[in-house]
Amino acid sequence: MKKSTIKKTLALFLTGAMTLAAFTACGEKAPDVSSTPQKSKKEEITTINFWHHYSAQSAENETLTKVLIPKFEEENPGYKVNAVSHEWADLHDKIMISASSDTLPDVARLDIAWVPEFQKMDILVPLNKEMSDYDATAKDLLPSAMSTASIKGDQYALALNTNTKILFYNEEALKEVNLEVPKTMDELFAAAKALSGKNKNGQQVWGLNEPALSSWNVLPYIWSNGGTITNEDYTKAQGFVNSKETVAAVQKLVDLYKNGELGGFNSGDIPMTDGFGTGRYMMLLEGPWKTAELAGAYPDFKYGTAGVPVGSAGGISVLGGEDIAMFKSANKEGAWKFIQFMTSDYAQKEMAKCGQIPVNTKTLESKEVKESAFAPFLEAITTAKTRPPVASWAKIDNELTTAMTDMIINSADVQKTLDQLATKIDTLLAE
Amino acid sequence: MKLKSRQSRLQVGLLLLPGLAFFALFTIYPILKLFYMSFLNWDMGSMLRQTFAGVENYKAVLSDGTFRIAFTNTLLYTVVTVPGQMILGLLAAVLINEIPHFRVGFRVIYYIPVITSWVIVSLVFRYIFNTEGMLNYLLTNVLGWTGQYIHWLDSRWGGLFVAMMLGIWKGVGWNLVVFLAALQSVPKELYESAEMDGCGSVQKFFYITLPSINPTILFALVMLTIGGFNVFTSVKMITGGKPMHQTETVLTWMYYKAFTTGEFGYAAALSFIVAVTLILLAVLQFKAMKQKDEAR
Repeated sequence: MKKSTIKKTLALFLTGAMTLAAFTACGEKAPDVSSTPQKSKKEEITTINFWHHYSAQSAENETLTKVLIPKFEEENPGYKVNAVSHEWADLHDKIMISASSDTLPDVARLDIAWVPEFQKMDILVPLNKEMSDYDATAKDLLPSAMSTASIKGDQYALALNTNTKILFYNEEALKEVNLEVPKTMDELFAAAKALSGKNKNGQQVWGLNEPALSSWNVLPYIWSNGGTITNEDYTKAQGFVNSKETVAAVQKLVDLYKNGELGGFNSGDIPMTDGFGTGRYMMLLEGPWKTAELAGAYPDFKYGTAGVPVGSAGGISVLGGEDIAMFKSANKEGAWKFIQFMTSDYAQKEMAKCGQIPVNTKTLESKEVKESAFAPFLEAITTAKTRPPVASWAKIDNELTTAMTDMIINSADVQKTLDQLATKIDTLLAE
Repeated sequence: MKLKSRQSRLQVGLLLLPGLAFFALFTIYPILKLFYMSFLNWDMGSMLRQTFAGVENYKAVLSDGTFRIAFTNTLLYTVVTVPGQMILGLLAAVLINEIPHFRVGFRVIYYIPVITSWVIVSLVFRYIFNTEGMLNYLLTNVLGWTGQYIHWLDSRWGGLFVAMMLGIWKGVGWNLVVFLAALQSVPKELYESAEMDGCGSVQKFFYITLPSINPTILFALVMLTIGGFNVFTSVKMITGGKPMHQTETVLTWMYYKAFTTGEFGYAAALSFIVAVTLILLAVLQFKAMKQKDEAR
């Protein structure tokens, strides 16, 4: 009797213990690959941990692991690179989490939008201050792309690759109305007017398309007209986002929408690629990815590309892309060597073969790059500007989008709305 | 049941332990942590160093114009979809209850929308109500009732209307099944004696059916109110809160604040305000139903 009770109790304990063990096993940390580099005394090899979001199956990752890293390790004996691929959104969160547990890698490839945020978290190394040969490395890199990581005068990352938007137009439609490819903003708006209206089937056609009204969409029009969001130090919006030039540019967009010459950003509208491929949107500003998308969905569709039309201040597009940054916990010597290598002419050329637009000016001059599929984007990149690299940008962009929607769709007074927006942005900039 | 000895109590405790541990770890702990978060300055820029904010987050939520819009939208959505689903569901249940054959078949047909994925039906509704979608094609090109396409999804009320239609359409089946079960438990004798007293079917419905299924109505009301307040997927997929956050609901607004602008403290406070509102509503509903019961 007693024995069996003991047995039962024992069995119960075991069950409980095993369940608990199962829980702890789930919660246990995976083998720590992210810790700061360890020097093993025997071989004197330093491991540099590099996190990126080239997809694991991509040509970029293939080049990175099979060409670039072996080359780097050969050139720099004593260093080993451990590259880890993450999903784009995961990488952001993983860095956030690793920062709080002090398990950051040495180097990471960051979306340009994250740099201000991580800088504010105080986990990035100001490269211009801490690297003695910084200038020699930085001088080869495209200034417009470098500005994405320049915060309050210091450089928290190097540009790694870039992209921007240029004009895509429906070739046949332009021919039909006997118009040249628009070179200036005025020509663009005139063409938008000529191309809008009804098509043969009685369907509405829009001359110009934007799929949303965020900064990524409206800034090329504002910048090219001499307008801006903030001053050059990104500290003040009053007098800039509501300047005469910005107001004029936004007013133009308002008029285009009112006349049915601009569309695509309402919830019920035709999606961008479909609208363009089926001849409902005639012109739009888009990035290099659109080429592949159109080739996949509308292989027979005939379109052309051209630089952003020139306004009173030039043809200024908006920059996207990635930077490469070093974390404070890194082995700085090795990390810097790797960053220099990744931005070198050799590595940039290899990556350009996979469609990554280089930022090294030497690479940009090369024949291979000039003949590549992204060649039409190269000129736009030299004049394109970055969205303000400030930590509160997500909130500012939200306010901007709301204001743009109010003015363009609801015909709110442009000057008044932008005045209010300036006050809101100034508060957010001061945060 | 009384537990006999200490030992058997120990046994029960041990058997409950895994479940309780799981519940504590994945339900209680997140709620407490969230509650704590709602009093912190916690956004993207202060991911590592949070400071205590007191009730600032709650103040920020309550004074936020968009939150008020989102809250009103959610309330409206609930006020329209809950009675809508219940009335249509009850009507269908009464009709199906009357027919002798094909009950199961009808039940399955009505229930199919309930088990269909929210994401997929949202996309289908979006396709129907798009400016160049099926409905406008039907109204303008086929029937010729409207001269030009109606922008269903581009305004606050249009967007909400579509989300409400989807909510009702998807919820009728669940109500039907719940009410059908309740109807079948109403004693037949009540109807028979009512008929002897000369009651018509309308009178039978209001004087016998409704009072008899009162507990089920309360159950459905509470569950659907909670469900209505939790509307998220359909709005997120159909309008995404556009234009200008005019079609935002409390949950889509919370999602936006947490994962787009990174204001986790604000989002935490918002979710607590929603939770408190829901508890209050449920208590009120129980009270109201109880009073009605006692008054009879």
